[in-house]
Amino acid sequence: MQATTATTAIAEAAPKAAEAPSRLREIIPLNNAVFERLFTVDTAITAARVVLTAVLGLVFAGLVITVLRKVVTKRMEARSGGLIVKIAQYLAFAFIAISVLDAAGVNLSALLGAAGIAGIAIGFAAQTSVSNFISGFFIVSEKTFSQGDVIDVDGTSGLVHSIDAMSVKLRTFDNRLIRIPNETLIKSNVKTITRFPIRRLNMDILVTYDTDVERARDLLYEIAAAEPNALRNPAPAFMVTGFKDSGVGLFFGVWFATDEWFDGNNAMYIAVKKRFDEEGVRFAFPTMTVYQEKAAAAPKKPYAGRAAAGRPRGKNGS
Amino acid sequence: METWKRWDLPTNEGTRIHRIGDRRVCVAADMVGDQYVLAAMALPPEASKGARLSLPSLSDKAWTRFYMDKAEGYELAPAYPPIPTCVRLKQPFSMAPGSTVEGWVFSRVEACVVVGGARVAAFPLATPYKTLYGSPEAGVICRYDEEEFLAAAEPVASSLHADQRFVAHPVRLRNASSEPVEVSDLCIYGEQLSIVGDETSMRSERLLFVFSSSGVRMSLDGQAPLPPGSRVLAKPTVSGEERFIVRSFELFKNITRI
Repeated sequence: MQATTATTAIAEAAPKAAEAPSRLREIIPLNNAVFERLFTVDTAITAARVVLTAVLGLVFAGLVITVLRKVVTKRMEARSGGLIVKIAQYLAFAFIAISVLDAAGVNLSALLGAAGIAGIAIGFAAQTSVSNFISGFFIVSEKTFSQGDVIDVDGTSGLVHSIDAMSVKLRTFDNRLIRIPNETLIKSNVKTITRFPIRRLNMDILVTYDTDVERARDLLYEIAAAEPNALRNPAPAFMVTGFKDSGVGLFFGVWFATDEWFDGNNAMYIAVKKRFDEEGVRFAFPTMTVYQEKAAAAPKKPYAGRAAAGRPRGKNGS
Repeated sequence: METWKRWDLPTNEGTRIHRIGDRRVCVAADMVGDQYVLAAMALPPEASKGARLSLPSLSDKAWTRFYMDKAEGYELAPAYPPIPTCVRLKQPFSMAPGSTVEGWVFSRVEACVVVGGARVAAFPLATPYKTLYGSPEAGVICRYDEEEFLAAAEPVASSLHADQRFVAHPVRLRNASSEPVEVSDLCIYGEQLSIVGDETSMRSERLLFVFSSSGVRMSLDGQAPLPPGSRVLAKPTVSGEERFIVRSFELFKNITRI
């Protein structure tokens, strides 16, 4: 049955094919008007132009970006170079897209107008992303820190793991990855801890009021002089910070190489504690002295008992 | 020098102790299978004062251990510290514009145990204090030394020459600026210098420091032929260049107020 139908179709098609002006119409049974409009010599030339523009554009853009990447790798830091290459890529793709559309005969003025409106809409939608991206440029231009530095951003400190277009990634000291948007970095106080070769250890010490402060000062200088990692220059700094509630406040600043600060911190605090204990210098801590008045031989009244129990009069020996 | 030379491995004599100044460097040999293990450690001065030394066992962490293919012995050699040395002058002095001063400065070396050309261990011969040479923004962390700047004719120079812990640096300072400069610190980049020794002393190449308005530049100022009996105890570690080749680098930054 099927074989009979096929034979009939072939028999019917044969005279039609003889009438058709081209074989193409036989294969693609389109409406004549549409077919003629789509498949003309002009269309073929336009298509070829589009393809040629796209291919040449991509090749040219690839070459430019490759050269640019090599140049920035040699002459610029990773972050700045990466950003420039990325911008160049976006610009190249935009240029290729516009060229291709132009080659295709698309009215670009209308398209650009529409793109402008769309850009505003997208801009509002992607406000944060754009802000982060632009903030990245300011961070780069300021050169506040670079990859491998230790920074502190509003209490979050860690090693700068990567610097990207939208954010900076920190690896904290307990091995967590923290992403900080560039916009946040611009708005925050960023402390670059490893920027300079040396860093001071600031020791705030509180000693009791009966301490010989000059003796305590001499001891601190001796401790710093005995610590091998403590720098001789700049010399340690000593200051009496005032009479505090619980004792006399002392400040002692000792300089260390930045990468030895951690060990120096521990060594100094341990040495100060040990030496002060040996020398009888006592650390002060918040105290309250309570004086007890002698109970007066007064007739028992409801509140007499409380008065006799005494009340706080002052702090730390006052 | 009686200390800085090649030594046989102490396979049958227990621990060998090399006394260098107030420090002692202990070297011992152990067997692991058919291989020798060289162990080395330094004793602090307070440990050296005791009448009887009590050393930890060779498996203790205090020892630096090195496996050797054969009992080839070891060399005890002087070496500059791994970081530059900032020599603070006990008596700073000023130099008038256009003047030149010649003299000596000394810096402390470290004791190195070398096996087959490889540095196995290095021991400072004094407590390795540190200091900053330069500004807090861009200075260099250095080993701290405090010595005098000595004129060549001063007799005290000979006593320091004979100390095995010190290497002498003959220096020539020239103030090419139009203002007086005060010399208070000298920074010695030992990694770029060699050590030459004879029976009694060790010295480096002659150094030339030129002060100008743009800063201070140091270069090698040449070196006289080696005295009879002297030999090279240590070569520069960062440069393959030998003597008479000028190697410019910054040495002084804050010794002048130009």
